[in-house]
Amino acid sequence: MYIYIDGKKISANDGETILAVANRNNIYIPTLCHHEALDDVGACRVCMVEITHKDWGGWTNLVTACLYPVEEGLVISTSSDAVRRSRGTTLDLLMARCPTSDVIRWMAEENGEISVRYEQVDDGSKCIMCSLCVRACEKMGCNAIGTVGRGHDKKIAPPFFENPENCIGCGACAAICPTGHIEMKDTRTTREIWEKKFDFVACEVCGEPVMTEEYRDYAIANRDLPADYYTTCSACKKKKLASHFDKVGS
Amino acid sequence: MGIANLKKLEARRSALHKAHENVKTQVRVCSGTGCAALGAFEVYDALVEESKKAGLPVQVELAPCGKDKDPIFVSLTGCQGFCQIGPLVHILPEDILYTGVKVSSVKDIVGKTLADGQVIDKLLYKNPEDKKRLKGRADIPFYKGQELVALEGCGSVAADSLDSYIASGGFSSLAKALKMDPDQVIAEVEKSGLRGRGGGGFPTGRKWRSCVNATGDERFVICNGDEGDPGAFMDCCIMEGDPYRVIEGMIICAHAVGSSTGFIYVRHEYPRAVERLSLAVKTCEENGLLGTKILGSDLNFDISVARGGGAFVCGESTALMRSIEGSVGEPRAKYVRSVQRGFRDKPTVLNNVETFACVPSIINEGSDWFASRGTEKSSGTKAFCLVGKVVNTGLIEVPMGTKLRDVVFGIGGGIIDGRPFKAVQTGGPSGGCLGENYLDLPVDFDALAEAGSMMGSGGMIVMDDRTCMVDVAKYFLNFLMEESCGKCVPCREGVYQLHALLDKLSRGEGEPQDLEKIQRLGKEIQVSSLCGLGKSAPNPVLSTLKNFREEYEAHVNDKRCPAGVCRDITTFTIDPDKCTGCLVCKKACPPDAISGEKKQVHVIDQDKCTQCGACRLVCKFDAVVTS
Amino acid sequence: MQKTYVVIPRNCTGCRTCELACSMIKGTEGVFARSRINIYKVGEERYMQMTCLQCVEAACVKVCPTQALVRNELTGAIEVDEDRCVGCGLCEPACPFGHMHFDLDEGVPVKCDLCGGDPTCVKFCPHRALELK
Ligand SMILES: Cc1cc2nc3c(=O)[nH]c(=O)nc-3n(C[C@H](O)[C@H](O)[C@H](O)COP(=O)(O)O)c2cc1C
Ligand code: SF4
Ligand code: SF4
Ligand code: SF4
Ligand code: SF4
Ligand code: SF4
Ligand code: SF4
Ligand code: FES
Ligand code: FES
Repeated sequence: MYIYIDGKKISANDGETILAVANRNNIYIPTLCHHEALDDVGACRVCMVEITHKDWGGWTNLVTACLYPVEEGLVISTSSDAVRRSRGTTLDLLMARCPTSDVIRWMAEENGEISVRYEQVDDGSKCIMCSLCVRACEKMGCNAIGTVGRGHDKKIAPPFFENPENCIGCGACAAICPTGHIEMKDTRTTREIWEKKFDFVACEVCGEPVMTEEYRDYAIANRDLPADYYTTCSACKKKKLASHFDKVGS
Repeated sequence: MGIANLKKLEARRSALHKAHENVKTQVRVCSGTGCAALGAFEVYDALVEESKKAGLPVQVELAPCGKDKDPIFVSLTGCQGFCQIGPLVHILPEDILYTGVKVSSVKDIVGKTLADGQVIDKLLYKNPEDKKRLKGRADIPFYKGQELVALEGCGSVAADSLDSYIASGGFSSLAKALKMDPDQVIAEVEKSGLRGRGGGGFPTGRKWRSCVNATGDERFVICNGDEGDPGAFMDCCIMEGDPYRVIEGMIICAHAVGSSTGFIYVRHEYPRAVERLSLAVKTCEENGLLGTKILGSDLNFDISVARGGGAFVCGESTALMRSIEGSVGEPRAKYVRSVQRGFRDKPTVLNNVETFACVPSIINEGSDWFASRGTEKSSGTKAFCLVGKVVNTGLIEVPMGTKLRDVVFGIGGGIIDGRPFKAVQTGGPSGGCLGENYLDLPVDFDALAEAGSMMGSGGMIVMDDRTCMVDVAKYFLNFLMEESCGKCVPCREGVYQLHALLDKLSRGEGEPQDLEKIQRLGKEIQVSSLCGLGKSAPNPVLSTLKNFREEYEAHVNDKRCPAGVCRDITTFTIDPDKCTGCLVCKKACPPDAISGEKKQVHVIDQDKCTQCGACRLVCKFDAVVTS
Repeated sequence: MQKTYVVIPRNCTGCRTCELACSMIKGTEGVFARSRINIYKVGEERYMQMTCLQCVEAACVKVCPTQALVRNELTGAIEVDEDRCVGCGLCEPACPFGHMHFDLDEGVPVKCDLCGGDPTCVKFCPHRALELK
């Protein structure tokens, strides 16, 4: 089928979302809660685009590109006035909520419309509630964190705000967070995340950290690899292998 | 004693009819939430007890083979509508409505009315206008002008009795529908013009038809009894007072769309509705009205009663379905309609309690009968919860298209204390406020929407001149802010900011550009939010801003609340010309800010006054003024 | 025809030009430790070049929860699809040879991708100790 994005005729496949087609064609649509490997939830609303169709009698609609499935002849605008207004408001609101987040400020500047300043809610939080962390953790099969509460007070937290029992300290949540809200503190021997402390498995050769003990146990139990893969750090593995090759070679 | 087939149903009905004909007097004790809270159950027990003591032939069940002569049938019904003056006892066929009945009045009712046919004057409704006692429903303005369809059985049938429902014609509609083609049933519903009573007003027949046309190996029928609107209780009354009607409506739908599994999702706070519905479902199962081969047909249908997730947003269709599936009741973003992929991703019909309750009448009386009521695009009748500053509050049902004026001043009896009418809020928390110039607006889906409000599920809050529209908008925004699920940015952050702006206005800190800001933010929240909650959340502020702009401007420009509600910008003083020195305000003032001797002009000490407004409320001479 | 990356240790002089070239082209600004090829001294004047083997049954691919590591059928390299990576970091300890590096700051893994079929290290090795055949 063919659709039109910003005036360009583009071929698309049944079942694809507008965002997928745009990405494939290098047409930029900003996103905050979308991730290629995770299910979309439509939470951030910055991927808003305006759609219409020749059969719709002039009627247009704002939809989220990450969720809207393409249909034959769909006409999409990624930066109409309505889109910019909606996206601008969403970003203005996020700026008020997370004034310290650079990512949000950059995105807002790019949208070009930081016109309205709202009352800042400066609780130091950079969380925009995109739930990427929760979905990443779910993908790991850990489900250690979730959303707690509702409305403006909604938070990402472990159940009952306690040490997350299921957390293995993999750090995926911290890595995926678009705003850097999740704190992960590493020392040579320990990692702390969600207020839970982990001990690192120390490389059996040099003592450098390999991964948390819980993560090692998780990996052994859930991924079909020998347990001794997780005893040595990368540098020592390479070193060991190098001298091994040397011996075999000569 | 099952009702294995249509013949048996009719046999049962005619036996019950006979029993009914025998009944000389019917005593219907309202056991709706309002009356129950005021002691209706005790009244009922006392009535039965006392009648027995008096040797009257009292029956508490419709006994098809009753041996008593001229029996008196005493039953507990659902809400009879006029909860304000409960507990109500309605005596038929004389149409005597006793109000405010206490256990202590029971002896009289039995001795005088039931045994002797006398009417007890002091238990009758007193018309506030002329202080005249009015005998029955036919005389009372509150009931005149109403027309009951969805509420037909609510307040008349015995709420927990299948027999009572059958005797009143119950399940004859199902019997008729089962003889019809599913397609014919849908055509009837389509022709009736019935639109969903849960808020959106989507044509019910069309919804059923899309469900049939959707592909899927299984279909579901779900009844939305979440009723989260604060102050609304029509669905509650129907579920508690006439549960079999809802079930009948659902079975007809199941037949029409080809479903074998149904759910009734009942608001968490309605344990009695859960109890009554569960009992009704069980009774239907035992009697062959649910389960396999219903009434001897090929239809198999089961209903489970599910308890709500406890949040307002759980009433939203996708959140509701997730909640029944066992996940957190949060809306799901998608661009597929739930008639195509709803519960467990299967085609699903979701309708409101009242919508299902209309179905039996449509099938029985015909689509034309239904369509002849109401307006062209909003047919039939609609139940409302009339509350606020009106003289008569309660549960009502009127034909669509009835003028707001007839509801507020006719049925509602006007504004309390004869104060000026200011606005009526319709549509629940995300509805809008309509002022005096809309009093002649015919109440239907489109007229309300055009005026900037909405039908919603049917809340109707009447406001007098002492209501501040900024404050009202703030109140609803606060509710919605707390009920937002917090998933999407425009609703979570936007409604919070809207509320903050309104709060700023009410503190007298509003700036000239704030109104523009409110307007713009409101519009963007409407178009950008994920679910219906966010999309409609700005309504209360946008509609009041549109219809009561001067009041907003007074808050911003003059730092003044014309209604004298917003505390930070209101001063209460006593008009010396009007004050009679009656001491009433002095006694009512919580912080003791009022001084003055009897028959002397009273004065408010501004340093002590907390602007609570208690004095103004109690003053009978309108001497407390605000500025 | 897919070409094969070969190391010829006996040609290697340990000049580490490859490391420098790799870390320059891969945007790690000459941080040798971030180079995807590493030179190890294994004896007197004997060096070993160590880089990803693009294993046929790669451990890294096996552990990835999101199929973010995919083989480029043209070059034979296993590449990181950063859009799919959730940053769990498991691929690093999973590689039995130590060739996967998880960049904690960026939240994504870093590995040799054969520069899309034209390895920079090969181009820069002055001693023909690295080749693409
Ligand atoms: C936030 C929100 C709350 C809702 N709450 C209810 C409710 O309590 N009861 C209800 O019947 N419909 C409610 N609805 C509407 C439902 O989503 C749905 O449209 C309705 O149940 C469909 O039935 P109908 O076509 O018979 O009206 C709500 C919608 C939203 C957006
Ligand atoms: S670090 Fe813990 S909470 Fe974060 S993704 Fe890993 S297991 Fe989940
Ligand atoms: S912590 Fe980060 S990833 Fe998680 S919801 Fe907040 S912003 Fe998103
Ligand atoms: S609009 Fe509000 S209630 Fe609906 S999904 Fe968004 S945050 Fe939740
Ligand atoms: S550039 Fe060539 S010779 Fe120099 S270290 Fe690398 S592989 Fe060895
Ligand atoms: S990173 Fe390691 S496991 Fe993956 S292909 Fe390279 S050598 Fe093999
Ligand atoms: S860090 Fe990324 S590439 Fe590596 S295993 Fe995890 S998700 Fe896959
Ligand atoms: S990326 Fe589409 S809503 Fe967030
Ligand atoms: S509860 Fe009795 S009249 Fe409503």
